[in-house]
Amino acid sequence: MPIISDRVEIERKPKLGGGGPGKIPHRRGFGGGDDGDRGRPEDFRSRNQRMRRYRIGMALCLVSVTAVFVALTFLYVFRLGKGRYDEDAHRWVTDWITLKLPYLLLWTNSLVLLLSSATLELARRTMEKKEEFAAMGIVPPRMRRDLPWLGITLLLGFGFLAGQVVVWNTLRHQGVYLVSNPSRSYFYLLTGTHAVHLAGGLLALLYAAGGRFLALRFESQRIAVEVTSWYWHYLAFLWFGIFALVHFARG
Amino acid sequence: MPMLNQTPDPKAIRNDSDPSLRSGFQKARNLFSTDHKIIGRQYFFLSLAAVLVGAWLSLLMRIHLVWPKAIILFLGEIKPENYLAQLTMHGTLMVFFVLSTVPQAGFGTFFLPLQLGARNMAFPRLAAVGFWTALTSFLVLMAAFFVPGGAPGAGWTQYPPLSALASAGPGQGLGTDLWLVSIGLFCLSSLMSAAGFVATTVSHRAPGMTWMRMPLTCWSWFVTSILILLAFGILLAAVVLLMLDRHAGTSFFLPGGLLISGRAIAHSGGSPLLWQHLFWFFGHPEVYIAVLPAMGVTSHLLSVFARKPVFGYKAMVGATLAIGALGFMVWGHHMFVSGMNPYAGFAFSTLTTAIAVPSAIKTFNWVATLYGGRIRYATPLLFSAGFVSLFITGGLTGPILAQPALDTYLHDTYFVVAHFHLIMAMAGLFAIFSATHFWFPRMFGRMMNERLGRLHFWITLFGAYAIFVPMHLLGIAGHPRRYSDLSGVQYVAAMAPLQKFITLAAIVTIAGQLIFLANLFWSMRRGPAAETNPWECGTLEWTPASYATKEGPGEWRPQVNHGPYEYNVPGAENDFIMQDAPAS
Amino acid sequence: MSVALRLALLLVVLGCVYLFLAHPYWFPAGASSLSGLIDHQFRIALWVFGALFVVGHLILVWALSKKPHAGGMASQGSWQLEVTWTVAVTIIFFWFNISGDHLWSSMMPPAKHGTEIDVEVTGAQFQWYFRYPGADGAFGKTDAQKFARPDEGNPLGIDPSDPAGRDDIVSTAMIVPVGHAVQLHLRAQDVVHSLFIPAMRFKQDTVPGMEIISHFTPTKIGAYEIACAELCGLGHYRMRAVVRVVSEAEFAAWLKQHGSF
Repeated sequence: MPIISDRVEIERKPKLGGGGPGKIPHRRGFGGGDDGDRGRPEDFRSRNQRMRRYRIGMALCLVSVTAVFVALTFLYVFRLGKGRYDEDAHRWVTDWITLKLPYLLLWTNSLVLLLSSATLELARRTMEKKEEFAAMGIVPPRMRRDLPWLGITLLLGFGFLAGQVVVWNTLRHQGVYLVSNPSRSYFYLLTGTHAVHLAGGLLALLYAAGGRFLALRFESQRIAVEVTSWYWHYLAFLWFGIFALVHFARG
Repeated sequence: MPMLNQTPDPKAIRNDSDPSLRSGFQKARNLFSTDHKIIGRQYFFLSLAAVLVGAWLSLLMRIHLVWPKAIILFLGEIKPENYLAQLTMHGTLMVFFVLSTVPQAGFGTFFLPLQLGARNMAFPRLAAVGFWTALTSFLVLMAAFFVPGGAPGAGWTQYPPLSALASAGPGQGLGTDLWLVSIGLFCLSSLMSAAGFVATTVSHRAPGMTWMRMPLTCWSWFVTSILILLAFGILLAAVVLLMLDRHAGTSFFLPGGLLISGRAIAHSGGSPLLWQHLFWFFGHPEVYIAVLPAMGVTSHLLSVFARKPVFGYKAMVGATLAIGALGFMVWGHHMFVSGMNPYAGFAFSTLTTAIAVPSAIKTFNWVATLYGGRIRYATPLLFSAGFVSLFITGGLTGPILAQPALDTYLHDTYFVVAHFHLIMAMAGLFAIFSATHFWFPRMFGRMMNERLGRLHFWITLFGAYAIFVPMHLLGIAGHPRRYSDLSGVQYVAAMAPLQKFITLAAIVTIAGQLIFLANLFWSMRRGPAAETNPWECGTLEWTPASYATKEGPGEWRPQVNHGPYEYNVPGAENDFIMQDAPAS
Repeated sequence: MSVALRLALLLVVLGCVYLFLAHPYWFPAGASSLSGLIDHQFRIALWVFGALFVVGHLILVWALSKKPHAGGMASQGSWQLEVTWTVAVTIIFFWFNISGDHLWSSMMPPAKHGTEIDVEVTGAQFQWYFRYPGADGAFGKTDAQKFARPDEGNPLGIDPSDPAGRDDIVSTAMIVPVGHAVQLHLRAQDVVHSLFIPAMRFKQDTVPGMEIISHFTPTKIGAYEIACAELCGLGHYRMRAVVRVVSEAEFAAWLKQHGSF
């Protein structure tokens, strides 16, 4: 390698964050970061580093989630278009039974999910503001005023999951079982996979909301809410994708 | 060895900081550590366990093929169902738990942060959870041997309907369920580990460690992790679908009208080809997941031991990226005779040929790196040179198999077995051996024995060729793979003498691996204490300060001023320049 | 050690070359219209890639034996060289690829002439069944789940109520006349199998739930073995059958003899 001196970059780059939160003695209360954060000016950098790190992690998680849903969509479309080979008639025949969706329920659920996305965004912004106070060295007002947003998001999230269960139950009562036709299998598969992913997001939000009982630092709470909000918005987007798929490509 | 002047006493530092060298109690406490060095070692030993089982299975298979009546100690006579279980488990263990575990998760977790100048992975707890998930996955897989019906017998590719129906054969019941659970867990483990790798590479590079100053090992780990993130999610989805087909009555992969051993199967409407598409969409990138880190290690070591910069660093990076990207577009070459639309054969054949080009570029660059170097013939160099040789040999049959017309004949014969064992298994193994010899002093604080290392190299090199080159001839003569017995088809039975030769070669070669094991364990306890930088390598994992890194708050913040491969720089004090040496 | 490594690599090359020149096992004699073309392509492949194998190793050995250059920083790369060998291998690989594409096109299913011999091949654990449409030229409907009785002479489950199935001939050996294109309808009853006829250079998976149409034209009278090439369970290794290529007269006689009941 030719020896290149790139001073510019060296100065621009923050000092290395690194290190895990694993074994650092936790200090309770507000303000502490990770990675040997002792409140020194340079530790603010490592705090930003930590946020950056989790954002990258979440972006990667989204890449993987996308791969899975793209694959499932591909399977759905492939199956819808191909049908079954009839060996005696020597041709492909469609055996896809068009699904009668409970639209009212689905739209209600969509609305709930959309609302939860909005409230989570509000929760995220409030926490961001709080973080700015902290950066200026001002002890922010207590968190009481902000928690409702997170709590409301949680309620809405659970509401969406409950709504999905109601959708599945309704279908079940109509005799639409997982195994009765590929269209049903794929409907349950897509919505089920989405619900499992959403449940993961709910767990993360529970973790953030229960921060006080877990003696979580504000910083960690904020990161949890921040990256989960990305995930959450993305899942809301995916939900509408799935909804559109099963509506427009219902066969 | 020139002593480096920045450090007081490397050994003192190491004893203080290296968690592996602490007392028994501390070691026990470190079992669940989030330190990347401990996790890396844990992966290393997990793979060691897996490779021992996998090699033992291959030995049993080889013996059964030529002496079907042989009585094996404790196991008795091997029956066809045992053979199929062995081949499935051999493939699964070797592909998942050895070839895609040790070069990536093992050495990667240990050395990626060190080479980048970071104190730990970006998500240390995630890395730890990843390891424990992988271990659980391994134990679940092993449990498949001990359930009624035994381990699954549908091959590591698990094509349905054979793998989807418990009545299709022994081992297709609980054994296959355990296999699916195990692979599902392994997918999760790989995803967790890979997310940590990418995040570490993006955000944890030391000041001055630009992308183009990263060692090629880091580049390989980075690209491989992206492949893992895209591919393993798909496998996970496929495994879940197969599980649903088996237990929830769905028919994703099961068509109607199946009649298995006289019993009608109620499923209808699915397609077995769907599984093949999903599986190979994961499965082909998986090949590169296994071999890219091996390529990275080879590039790294050839430069170190030839005392020369890597020839064409940027071309190497470009080739790595090209292989990663093309790797997702070639899965159909596993399915030329599967019943896929024959016209798709043109596209897949062309893309597969295209992926041979970056591989060839890499080979040329390796040879050019060696050319004119002051080569130090230590064991790691021998194995790396062996890697290049095996890569050429195994790689050149690739474009032949990429032709649908020729693949029609060669598909699922021993020709394919020879091809992927040479290029993936043997080449991968050689890279693992060279990396083990090379990084052993850094991982365990001691040197491995050179004499034993060389002896092991000669046996393995000749062994690898003696086992796998004759297999090409079996394939050319039309010997299908996965036959548990040679007596069923007459023209296959006629090939018994060559099979016998291969078995003898395999016995000798596998026995030769005992030398490696002995060397490994002996050196771990009794090997001579290593210098800080025994190979005089310029990357950051060998800086004295890197030995002092602890998890958590630490002061190791190297300032990188040099490229990774600055050897024989005119005017320099030594024949190499550490990456964190002051800028000239 | 340097000398030893170079010698070892040369030894490996010599061994491989010797093995392929001596080739104790090789292609079975071809017996189909395409076998000549495929063998030709394979010979080209072996010569080209065999040569690359030898040359590659010789270059490796040569690079290992080059004396270290004195003084000055070693080369870190050369875009000219990179471009040169990239272009060189691209030309070789794609020339080979395109020649293979030509061959693959010629193996595509040809237009139907109406003169093909139709044979339906069904793979079942662990037996091949070959069905001929009989005098009416039409296969009867099958439903294995309802009608298949392996012990009662109806392993494929031909629907007894379908008149087209009355004269179907089911055999465990494939009998085809020499020189006639054979159109195979490949099916499977339970799991994926693969019909492999080495002498015809023919292989095609049989997939349950699909009917795959494939062709070959036998050109030599004789008996050739069929093997299963896709892992299908315990008896995979013994899922053997024979294709008997006979003269046209003999084939007609065989049809007559078996089609009478």
